[in-house]
Amino acid sequence: MTDVSLPEKFAFLEPFVDAWGGLHTQDDRYRKRQELDQSELESFHAALAPRLEEVFAYLDGFDPAALPESEALLLRVVLGLTEASQAVEIFGQPRVPYAPFPHSVKMEWVGYDPH
Amino acid sequence: MVDINEHMTKAQDMGLSNGQVPVEYYTSPEYFQREQEMIFRRAWLMVGRVEEVANPGDFVLRDMPTLEASVIISHGKDGQIRAFHNACSHRGVALVCKERGNALTFRCPYHAWVYRADGSLSAIPSEKDFPQVDKEENGLAPIHLDTWNGFIFLNFADEPEVTLREFLAGLDVMLDGAPFDQFPFYAEVTDEIDCNWKNLVNAFNEGYHVAILHNKTLRPAVVPKENPHLNYLDIKHFGPHSAGTVQRNFDYAPDAPTLTWVYQQMLPTSAPDKEAIKEGRAGFYEHPGINRLKIENFGTETITIFPNISIQPLANGYLFYQFWPLSHNRMRTEVRIYGRHAPKNLREEFAMANTLAATRDVVVEDMAMSRLQQIGLQSGGKKFQNFGENEPLLRLFTRDYEAYLAGGGLQPDTPQAEAAE
Repeated sequence: MTDVSLPEKFAFLEPFVDAWGGLHTQDDRYRKRQELDQSELESFHAALAPRLEEVFAYLDGFDPAALPESEALLLRVVLGLTEASQAVEIFGQPRVPYAPFPHSVKMEWVGYDPH
Repeated sequence: MVDINEHMTKAQDMGLSNGQVPVEYYTSPEYFQREQEMIFRRAWLMVGRVEEVANPGDFVLRDMPTLEASVIISHGKDGQIRAFHNACSHRGVALVCKERGNALTFRCPYHAWVYRADGSLSAIPSEKDFPQVDKEENGLAPIHLDTWNGFIFLNFADEPEVTLREFLAGLDVMLDGAPFDQFPFYAEVTDEIDCNWKNLVNAFNEGYHVAILHNKTLRPAVVPKENPHLNYLDIKHFGPHSAGTVQRNFDYAPDAPTLTWVYQQMLPTSAPDKEAIKEGRAGFYEHPGINRLKIENFGTETITIFPNISIQPLANGYLFYQFWPLSHNRMRTEVRIYGRHAPKNLREEFAMANTLAATRDVVVEDMAMSRLQQIGLQSGGKKFQNFGENEPLLRLFTRDYEAYLAGGGLQPDTPQAEAAE
């Protein structure tokens, strides 16, 4: 990992930076979710999901197209929850039942560059 | 109040008695070859939306794997949208390599032959060395293109047997003016999987599996108490194409924290915007061809366009699915989630990414089951699949599939050709 760290008030997410902070695409996050144990996904979800509003209220103060490194790292960690939440809130397990593992799909946004 | 039991369309209501369908259609390489020639080279195939090439010079590149075709769709300076094979007239190089862009000319990277956006050949370096090449006759090879309601269709026949409107056989009339153009933004999920493409076509043509396979994903939001097997209601059929009305649970409200927060930022594609419905600004809800029964818990109209398209107009956009055979037991699924606009801020980006992940997971459930189905079909112990009275659209698809393979299917006014075999 680089020496970039999370904004101070979101240091509680530090334990999840290794897993999610270096991922840059939705498919990378989908793959990570399949690899982690359910207990790891659950502790990430428990730490972050109730505080999403707090995170985005903070990120509202930045230009999405020019996030400083710490805020960009924060956002990448937080976007991991878009996958972890499927495992925790929907399936109760990391993987979609009966799907091949590892499973990968191509995901593309047309006319928008997601973080 | 509509009695939905009167509107659960069953196979017998449609005169479809073909409840047993040969497994061979799903496992045989010979059938795949016949599908390529008799279906995919004859039917009009949907390839995108006019918004993708909104301005003169805009182009997109489309890979049509079933036909091994690489296609340039280009908006000319004259305003016309055209399609061409992506092949230089010199020695065949696929000259356009970008997936989309804006260009008034296409230049082959091999020897710099140059074409205009209308496909005509404009320049050959050292032209005197090609005395046999008449520039007038050596533009990019055109493919028949037509549009309906903003959707672009191609036809790979030398001369299409019917026009696009004739092909759509009345589905077009019912849905003329449906406001697909209000939802120009999309995100796309593409996956290839080991199964016959028709396994996926069939999965999207019945609601019977939703409460079981999608027990944790779709069922809570979609399957209503009064229709536990999610029979499609009020099925309309037009030649091989169809549309059926599907309900939804309007009292569904997520209580998990992430999903709850997502709903507050930007409603998922499928979640009804109750205020908008009340005020009559809920997109598809207002169209007379959609939800003809006027059921109060309307979810979607699931629209099937033969051979390989399913479209589901929803509350805040629509879902678009396309199924491409790659062989008898491998296929590509393309899913597009269309919405009103791109994310306007990071909150909406998170919400949309979450909706994209959730939608993908539902399709992954269908694809995973279709793969298991293929394993079972190929094992060879069963000669037939059974399509129920509550799976009428599977029978309808099979009827027209057989008609196409036998050389018919496209002329609605002539009697159906005899079934294959």
